[in-house]
Amino acid sequence: MVGATGAREPVLAVGALCEELEELQSTLGQGPGVDAAAGDGVVLVPDLADGPAVRRWPVFAPAAAERGMRGLFAFPVAAGAARVGVLDVYRRDPGGLGAELLATALAFADAVLVVVLDERGAVAGGPDHRRDAMLPERRAEVHQAAGMVSVQLGIQVSEALVRLRAYAYVHERRLADVAADVVARRLRFAPDRRGTDDTAVGSEMMDAPPNSDHDHPEGGT
Amino acid sequence: MSTTDRRVRETFVELADTLVDDYDVLGFLDLLAHRVVELLDVDACGVVLADHHGTLNLVAASSEETRLLELSQLQNSEGPCLDAFRTGRPVSMDDLTTGGDQRWPRFAPAARGAGYAAVHALPMRLREVVIGAMNVFGRAPGSLGSESLALGQAMADVATIGILHERTTRQHEEVAGQLQAALDSRILVEQAKGVLAERLSVSVDDAFALLRAHARSTNSKLRDIAAAVVDGTLTDVRRR
Repeated sequence: MVGATGAREPVLAVGALCEELEELQSTLGQGPGVDAAAGDGVVLVPDLADGPAVRRWPVFAPAAAERGMRGLFAFPVAAGAARVGVLDVYRRDPGGLGAELLATALAFADAVLVVVLDERGAVAGGPDHRRDAMLPERRAEVHQAAGMVSVQLGIQVSEALVRLRAYAYVHERRLADVAADVVARRLRFAPDRRGTDDTAVGSEMMDAPPNSDHDHPEGGT
Repeated sequence: MSTTDRRVRETFVELADTLVDDYDVLGFLDLLAHRVVELLDVDACGVVLADHHGTLNLVAASSEETRLLELSQLQNSEGPCLDAFRTGRPVSMDDLTTGGDQRWPRFAPAARGAGYAAVHALPMRLREVVIGAMNVFGRAPGSLGSESLALGQAMADVATIGILHERTTRQHEEVAGQLQAALDSRILVEQAKGVLAERLSVSVDDAFALLRAHARSTNSKLRDIAAAVVDGTLTDVRRR
């Protein structure tokens, strides 16, 4: 069972019990998912009925264990300061996840991040586009560029990542190449004066390099 | 005791001192990378870690030159770090002009282009699991020598221990969680470099130097300084 929690409220929960426990964490402001969202990194709880878990989450942990949920593994859906949510994986039986399931869960959290960012950027690229744009996410330059764009536009780093990805998609360029242009100061983002939302990604570019295809039709979907 | 011996001893004491509870893994690796350059008499050192996709990511380097970052990135397709990571054995190319191109047709020319003539990679392993590699570059061709190689491997082992806290290494899950934390800290630092570079109109390389200097002068974790820069609570980071 998997629930993906936004910063504050659950956006998706699979199964009634999972949904209930997500609500509970959210209401109490307490639980592994809450800590993971707050920047504690991956929070792995093999047994919610165990002493350390009960001490750390005195209300949530016993409540979850009482309802028959023993394992809870919380993965930040995040890249550095760009935190968009948490992926909570619940299990009825106590015990560790194991190396393989853990790697799978981490990969799922990455996939959720990409999907959430592209949804915000109204990028409808489909699985093929995402597979392409997924791995370079760890490139240093992509994150340096996100930091720079966040200052250029006065927005959060997560939002800057959204804009960068959307720009790359609309202009049919690789994210890494767009990021390299930003870092080399060949490309700047300027605030969108029309005050519309992110769908107007193609129009917010200023000072694009002379050889860039900045006249590419907006949208491109 | 020779000067080098004393320096080696001091380095290990210094590194051990940083391995306290709740320590700064990035600051530790940064220090280690700089000491490797000094003690092995080489010109650059980078530490790469594998993530859960099996992708190698640079987490610390003796120099934040973009070229070094690019060389690390390139090694996801080929290169000494990838070889060391896959085989769990040290990999050396004493002269990149002889034989380097056959082995690594893309990496070798890129490394030469960045000004390096010799390259070595030391696996970072915890028993049977290889978690990454330490990359060492020299501007002049030449082998490391058996003593330097052994010292380098000891430093790579220390790096491994530094990343995976000794008391929890028996659990695969904790290992993955700690690797993930180190990699994520690195992403945060990259974001902070970008924020600072834009705010102060400096290069990202200079921005890192400022972050690092600020972390040291205030005795703070690099990760915490980076987080404060990104969220805007720390604005006074500049050359003094």
